[in-house]
Amino acid sequence: MAGRGKLIAVIGDEDTCTGFLLGGIGELNKNRKPNFLVVEKDTSITEIEETFKSFLARNDIGIILINQFIAEMIRHAIDAHMQSIPAVLEIPSKEHPYDASKDSILRRAKGMFSAEDFR
Amino acid sequence: MGVSELEESSSLLDEKLLRFMDQLELLEEKRATLNSLIEQGWFSISKARYTMGNKQVSALQYASEIEPHVCVHARTQDNGEVEFCTKKVEQNCSNEADKDVKSIEDIGPQEEGVRRRNKPKKDIAEKEASEETSGEKAPEVSPVRKSDKNPQQDPLKWFGILVPQSLKQAQSSFKQVIELSAEIATLQTAVLNTREELKHGMKNKQILQEEVSAARLDKEADRTCQ
Repeated sequence: MAGRGKLIAVIGDEDTCTGFLLGGIGELNKNRKPNFLVVEKDTSITEIEETFKSFLARNDIGIILINQFIAEMIRHAIDAHMQSIPAVLEIPSKEHPYDASKDSILRRAKGMFSAEDFR
Repeated sequence: MGVSELEESSSLLDEKLLRFMDQLELLEEKRATLNSLIEQGWFSISKARYTMGNKQVSALQYASEIEPHVCVHARTQDNGEVEFCTKKVEQNCSNEADKDVKSIEDIGPQEEGVRRRNKPKKDIAEKEASEETSGEKAPEVSPVRKSDKNPQQDPLKWFGILVPQSLKQAQSSFKQVIELSAEIATLQTAVLNTREELKHGMKNKQILQEEVSAARLDKEADRTCQ
């Protein structure tokens, strides 16, 4: 595993997941646990959050890609993640274009110029 | 002494701030490219869906055995930044399969003598020879099975053997997105790292400023006493 490198995980709508799996990032491990989650209309927020946390806990995942509208549902979990590995990347989705002002990383970077940081 | 230190820390802070801004600008650029590439990918997937039928390009088509073709290597640098770079996974199985194919190809010329297609009489010697040949042929079969079992197939084949060009285009644009996402992840950690450095720098500068102002006040107090 050490020589192989880390995986890229995806949490997204069907087309996003299909696209990234076409790109070759998908994996079903020995326990048949996938490194992706296709979020559909009936997927609960709890399920998304649990999957996200399980991806964070896995040490074979290097980057987590997540649709921004899904990231909005579990914003607290994303904001709580402070480590650099795995890196969390918010990507746009078909119905929701990318909004930099919602991105956790950019908000953290922007926060540098707030009054709190000068204290 | 204190004033020069203050100037030094200020210039360092300026440098860091400029670096921070450059990183943010680069991040924004790469984000824009990533977004357009993803859009292109979706468009191609939609086109493929239109060509192949609504249910032909969906999550139901994913294979039961999925192996990654791309992985990322994360290298932590001395300053705390993490560099992500994508790498294609070397396909061990396919290499084995290649070897097997070669071995199958080699078998033909290695056989010496003329083949007897019509076996006239059952001699013991011939029997032995046939056993030998069957013994040779036995390993021929198993490698072929191995290559059949190979799960590391191109994800394009999940959706059929003759897939439309648009699906191939989608694959290529998503491959680019994957590479770009590793670069963006690197930049994100760099941005956060620089931000932390800036924060520390600002605090240090504040402490220095307080020290300098305290020293000035002391000097002025001494002068007034004299």
